[in-house]
Amino acid sequence: MKTRCYLSTLLLLSLLGCQRDYEAPVPYTFADNPGAGQFTASVRQRMEGVYAVTAGNSQFGEQVAVKWTYGMNGPDTTHYLSVFTGTDVGYFNFEVVKADTMTLTGYWRKLVNTETGRARLSVKTTRNGQVRPYRGQLTEGDTLVLDGAFSEKTAEPSQSLRLAYRRPLNTEPFAILAHRGGGRTSDLLPTSENSLDMIKLASRLGATGIEIDVRYTKDGVPILYHDNTLNLRLIQKNGLKGSIENYTYQQLTTLVRLINGERIPTLEEALETVVSKTPLSFVWLDTKYIGPMDKMQVLQQKFRQRAAQLGRTLQIVIGLPTQNAINSYKALADKSNTPILCELDTAITRSLNAKIWAPRWTLGPQTNQVLAMKAEGRTVFVWTLDEPRFIDEFINQGQFNGILSNYSPAVAYYHYTRQP
Amino acid sequence: MYLRHFIGLLFCLLALVAPAQRRPLPADHPRAIDSTVRQPAIYFPQAPYPGEWRKSLGVVFTTTPPALTEEVRLRVPAVDFNLQRGLTKHFFLVSRLQTQFIQSNLSLGVRWATPLTDRLFLSVGNDVHGWAGVLKLKDVFNSQAVGVQNVPNLSLGYRLTRELQLTVKGEAITDWYYRSQVGSLAIENRNRGFNGLAFTAVLEQPFYGNRHVSLGLRAAYSNFNWQFWSLYDTFDRNLFYPQLIFNFIL
Repeated sequence: MKTRCYLSTLLLLSLLGCQRDYEAPVPYTFADNPGAGQFTASVRQRMEGVYAVTAGNSQFGEQVAVKWTYGMNGPDTTHYLSVFTGTDVGYFNFEVVKADTMTLTGYWRKLVNTETGRARLSVKTTRNGQVRPYRGQLTEGDTLVLDGAFSEKTAEPSQSLRLAYRRPLNTEPFAILAHRGGGRTSDLLPTSENSLDMIKLASRLGATGIEIDVRYTKDGVPILYHDNTLNLRLIQKNGLKGSIENYTYQQLTTLVRLINGERIPTLEEALETVVSKTPLSFVWLDTKYIGPMDKMQVLQQKFRQRAAQLGRTLQIVIGLPTQNAINSYKALADKSNTPILCELDTAITRSLNAKIWAPRWTLGPQTNQVLAMKAEGRTVFVWTLDEPRFIDEFINQGQFNGILSNYSPAVAYYHYTRQP
Repeated sequence: MYLRHFIGLLFCLLALVAPAQRRPLPADHPRAIDSTVRQPAIYFPQAPYPGEWRKSLGVVFTTTPPALTEEVRLRVPAVDFNLQRGLTKHFFLVSRLQTQFIQSNLSLGVRWATPLTDRLFLSVGNDVHGWAGVLKLKDVFNSQAVGVQNVPNLSLGYRLTRELQLTVKGEAITDWYYRSQVGSLAIENRNRGFNGLAFTAVLEQPFYGNRHVSLGLRAAYSNFNWQFWSLYDTFDRNLFYPQLIFNFIL
């Protein structure tokens, strides 16, 4: 009888003790060399478009969207090529390694699972079935082709990958807003959510803007952090627990590291990163705290001014998700030069004269209300929409001005490939 | 990951089968067990007498996986009602309703059960689950979803004493149909595919007087769980959904 008890206990432990840890390490190390080599501005512009996947379609679907982006580091600009697939929220990131060739190397990843691998592409042209290297000029009858290979995980790319140019990207204005600075930690991205590295990665994931979560430390420093408490979902094990508002900025800087090793950034550092290192054009400050909003307003105004001085088109808006946040906003002494976004209903949005209304996507398209708000000159976003088929449906409806998502590669794919 | 579960199940089967190979005790022995006797049970793999009804009412608590609810860990209760009817000596019908009122799951199935020894019992079966949920909440939800899953299953039961019965059950969960709607937009999936596995261990025994209870743990490793349809899980990975089952056998 005892044996049976022990063995049955073993069974239960084996069942209940199993929580699999998933990992998706990036199989390629970026050199991040400044510049774009032979990929001049005109070449980059010509390369952007919707491509048919003529080899590798079993893995990446029938078509992809190809788009260049960049990151800045002081006077240096580094260009990256992103490819957004319609399968399993997949994307490729490429960089120019050899400045004297038209080749790109990088990796691919599918965000809904852990599939990843390396990839390389060369720019070529085809005419009457003949493939030739691309010399920077296309004559009539030529088709631009991105020709290369991909692999699984860290293996040397050997499976054929070929993308054939089909048409230009959809150029209708649309905000692709990445949640938590670019994506969720639970999607096994290489950087932690709400970190500076994630903000720098966002545009390579297809985002044109970001949403970041703002809280205050015990000594009143606005920082980026999503959850109510320090927990092992977001930070490395350090013995600290409880509300983040119980710790000073110094304590958090010294003792806490995000799950991928980064420091918890201040809001000031985050906005500085957006302005000086990214091409992002929109920042949504999500107020995750209850209390005065004046420090956030000061930073909002400072970096809006900074962006304007640099000639950047950058909107920084304070999100109002709750009545408490609205009360904090109403308590501000001066509300001028303080753009806001209201997540509550249309009546409250109008009463606050918020220029942006952001309802939850789970309310559906709300066609009449969306059209009415747009007719009043307001912008309308939905949040936080991750289900790829619903992303497709919402984009095809063509009513919203943007989507906030953890899956900006999927939003980018459906937006850029849409044929109005 | 499943290797650990199979090892666990193997241990359990060894624990069950090894003593079951002993020679049965004489009928007049105080601990002798008559395999034809039915103890009140819902999970134990022994068919009710033809025409006999069996039913239980209780509650199931499901813990949310951290990948879905992040820092919030919820133990979501659902009312759990089971109804079974014997068809023949070996065949019986099973049905189960789990409901949280805004979302419910009704399963219907058939089982074939047989004793292997005086203490060890086996059943195989197939259940079809239909689930539906509707959420309408101002400024938050205008959503609904329905789905159908097919769940073939196998149960092994061991009568530890005359009144204490242990059942171990394995289920393969397959998706048949899914439809989700927000406002006027809807998506549908008719692709049939493997969704995950579930393992259940249940004790059934007397509980104060003549009342019997089912007390068990179910560990589901699946891609999708109907109770969390409104979280719109997008992960293509199996998540762990532990469940605590407590039912009064009526």
